[in-house]
Amino acid sequence: MPPLTRPPVAVPFPGSRPSRFARVFALLFGLTAAASWWAARVDLPTLFSREAFRNALVFVADGFPPALSPTFLFFLIRPALETVQISLLGTAVALVIGFPLGILATASLAHAGPLHELDLSGRPVRRLLRFMPYGLSRALLSLFRSVPELVWALVFVRATGLGPFPGVLAIGVAYGGILGKVYSEIFEAVDPRPLEALQATGASRWGVFWYGMVPQAFPHLVSYTLYRWECAIRASAILGFVGAGGIGQQIEISMRMFNFGEVVTLIGLLVLMVAGTDALSLRLRRRVL
Amino acid sequence: MAWQAPAVRAVAGPPRAAVTTWLGWAALAGALLWSYRGTAADIGAVLGPEGLAQMAAYGRRLFPPDLSAPLLREVAIGASETFAISFLGTLLAVLIAFGLVFFASANLAFAGLLFEMERPVVRGLRLLLYGTARGLLNLLRTVPELVWAILFVFMVGLGPFPGVLALGVHTAGVLGKLFAEVLENVDPRPIEALQGTGARRLQVLAYGILPQVLPHFVSYSLYRWEVNIRVAAIMGFVGAGGLGQRIHIAISLFLEHQLLTLVLAIYALVTAVDALSALLRRRLL
Amino acid sequence: MYQAEGLTKVFPGEIRAVDGLDLKIGAGERVAFIGPSGAGKTTLFRLLNCTLKPTAGRLWVGGREVAHLHGAALRAARRRIGTIYQQHNLVPRLPVIHNVLAGRLGTWSTTRALLSLARPVEVEEAHRALQQVGIPEKLYARTDELSGGQQQRVAIARALLQDPDIILADEPVSSVDPTLAAGIVHLLTDISRATGKTLVVNLHSVDLALATFPRIIGLRDGRVLFDLAPAAVRDETLAALYRGAPATGPAEGALDAPLDPATSCRPLPRV
Ligand SMILES: Nc1ncnc2c1ncn2[C@@H]1O[C@H](COP(=O)(O)OP(=O)(O)OP(=O)(O)O)[C@@H](O)[C@H]1O
Ligand SMILES: [Mg+2]
Repeated sequence: MPPLTRPPVAVPFPGSRPSRFARVFALLFGLTAAASWWAARVDLPTLFSREAFRNALVFVADGFPPALSPTFLFFLIRPALETVQISLLGTAVALVIGFPLGILATASLAHAGPLHELDLSGRPVRRLLRFMPYGLSRALLSLFRSVPELVWALVFVRATGLGPFPGVLAIGVAYGGILGKVYSEIFEAVDPRPLEALQATGASRWGVFWYGMVPQAFPHLVSYTLYRWECAIRASAILGFVGAGGIGQQIEISMRMFNFGEVVTLIGLLVLMVAGTDALSLRLRRRVL
Repeated sequence: MAWQAPAVRAVAGPPRAAVTTWLGWAALAGALLWSYRGTAADIGAVLGPEGLAQMAAYGRRLFPPDLSAPLLREVAIGASETFAISFLGTLLAVLIAFGLVFFASANLAFAGLLFEMERPVVRGLRLLLYGTARGLLNLLRTVPELVWAILFVFMVGLGPFPGVLALGVHTAGVLGKLFAEVLENVDPRPIEALQGTGARRLQVLAYGILPQVLPHFVSYSLYRWEVNIRVAAIMGFVGAGGLGQRIHIAISLFLEHQLLTLVLAIYALVTAVDALSALLRRRLL
Repeated sequence: MYQAEGLTKVFPGEIRAVDGLDLKIGAGERVAFIGPSGAGKTTLFRLLNCTLKPTAGRLWVGGREVAHLHGAALRAARRRIGTIYQQHNLVPRLPVIHNVLAGRLGTWSTTRALLSLARPVEVEEAHRALQQVGIPEKLYARTDELSGGQQQRVAIARALLQDPDIILADEPVSSVDPTLAAGIVHLLTDISRATGKTLVVNLHSVDLALATFPRIIGLRDGRVLFDLAPAAVRDETLAALYRGAPATGPAEGALDAPLDPATSCRPLPRV
């Protein structure tokens, strides 16, 4: 008689061997990390050396207590306001650049998906005509956002002279590229079924856009734009480094003069401003969502 | 119900927008006007005929790009440094953020389900830990990358290495905040179920939380890498390696042909990293 | 009004949703399609309202071949066909009035459409259409705050406002109670009778279809199984039509699963 309980058949654990992708990925990741380690001239001994420690100490010792003299604080009001102004107007310019380009760069509006199935399939010339503005605006957006704000700022400082205005333009162009791309992604992600229904009533593409896409996308558009405004505050502080106004210019000057007490004050001010915009934009976001 | 509709009664108009809405729009318009004046903005100077002509002239001066061998060699070195800064910087940031974030999300540090039954003293201590981790992440995040870069240059000298450190430290703050948001939004039901089986906290973490959050962590890290390649390109402005230094020089000395080459290099680098990150996102998630 | 010859739609993955359909529907006719879930009814309606391009076969609407339509002519053809969608396909965040007025978009200029978003025009018409479907008080409510059945009626009101020559109603009463369902179907047939509009519906409620429509077409696996007057439809015919379908009644098509309005947009990366 066979035993009543037989030992269980061993079921091999599936997938114990990593997939080919995983192995190739791990190998390439390791190689890239090693090559980067070498290219970036990573130097841990220096980082943990006594000298580096002493340098850090110098900064801390000089930075505290921070510069809080009334004259200095009073002097900071203008650059701080300027930073806010740059961020506000820069975001507005970015909106003006990004919104129309973002519409053009929306594939589901331009040429792809069920909205165009009957209209475009089998009509290569029509399709090409639709594709051209789409491709062009994508390329433009990608150029705008690939070049860092700081480089844009330098170029505009050359063109319009020192001061906050080149900062506005730099944020406007660079963020315009980002906003345009994200707007188009938001538009592409809306529920397509209402769009189909609108089109079936005979609505034109503009009708479909304003009645179907914008209402669905609106909260996301507002929310992302507000978020970008928060980023713009931080960015406009940086732009001062190349002479484009705001408190960044002050940070740069104080740094160059090794006046770390002032630097700490300035950074504290920046922290406060960023926290303030964070809170404000959070409240605004809650309202639209 | 019949097709002939009942007589139309007077229909009420749409509800009026609240006064606060109008005030909000007015405030926005006022703020923009204030900014326009405060920044000495002059749209005419940019979009007027003169401004446009100037821009066109500048655009023409950029061409053709400088493709001489010495510059190309320098661009190649700068580009590889920029890439290395972004890659290692992001990696460092992920390590720091991952180490801190479990203390910096309320539901894992001291509050909610996992600590329901905990003694008040222990929870108080944990709250302290939480506050410290949060504060540290906030500090890392709000100090701009370039300021960190200047500090690290001051500490360890010129070159790409301080760039890596600056990027890593600042991005750690950003990722820490994002990771913490993800952690605080995990679905609590599996956690409750696991805890009900008598699992320890680390076990709950491994079985109930990490599987939920890791894909988001990866996605955010990749996204941040895309941002960081752009930041790494300007680290050189303060002496922290990469293409930035050359760009600064090219702009300051009116070397427009070189500038175009450098901008093209950045464009290529950024586009490549964007594509790579999109590919990884598709394959890994 | 409609003529189809060998009409076929194949989706990626060799899914033959509509398979060699021959069909003729005259002007002013009232036709009900019935058939099991996944039979291809919705796909057929999307072909009939000039949204999808047939993979093979030919289709004429009002004497014009659909494949030759594009641009303005295509829009004009769509304007004359009003569709009530199974999933309502309303714009969730828009107030009801704009969803109803959207039926006019094919007639309005873009400027008028935009102005109406700021300050609605033709309010009386919208109100009357809502009155016909029994929810006039929801004129300014937000659409995603309505119940499923109320949303369905908004979708019907939109089609009423469009005032088309052909009404295509894909399961127009799936989310309302039986009494209201009968009321709405009668509303549609009354309209069709009074104005000579062609009415093509698709109903899961066989009894309602048999009681209301002079012509019943059974659709299964993308093919016409029968095309009969209601009196000629026998229990065996219906049994053959629904054979093998789950006894619990037709399930929702996989692609018709309602999108969660909260997640219909994928989350964006935020740095
Ligand atoms: N866009 C699409 N892509 C791929 N397959 C599809 C698509 N739309 C429909 N199908 C498939 O075509 C078949 C017919 O679907 P259809 O929606 O037309 O069925 P139906 O008769 O309307 O069903 P129900 O009564 O459940 O609404 C199904 O197998 C479905 O999965
Ligand atoms: Mg269907």
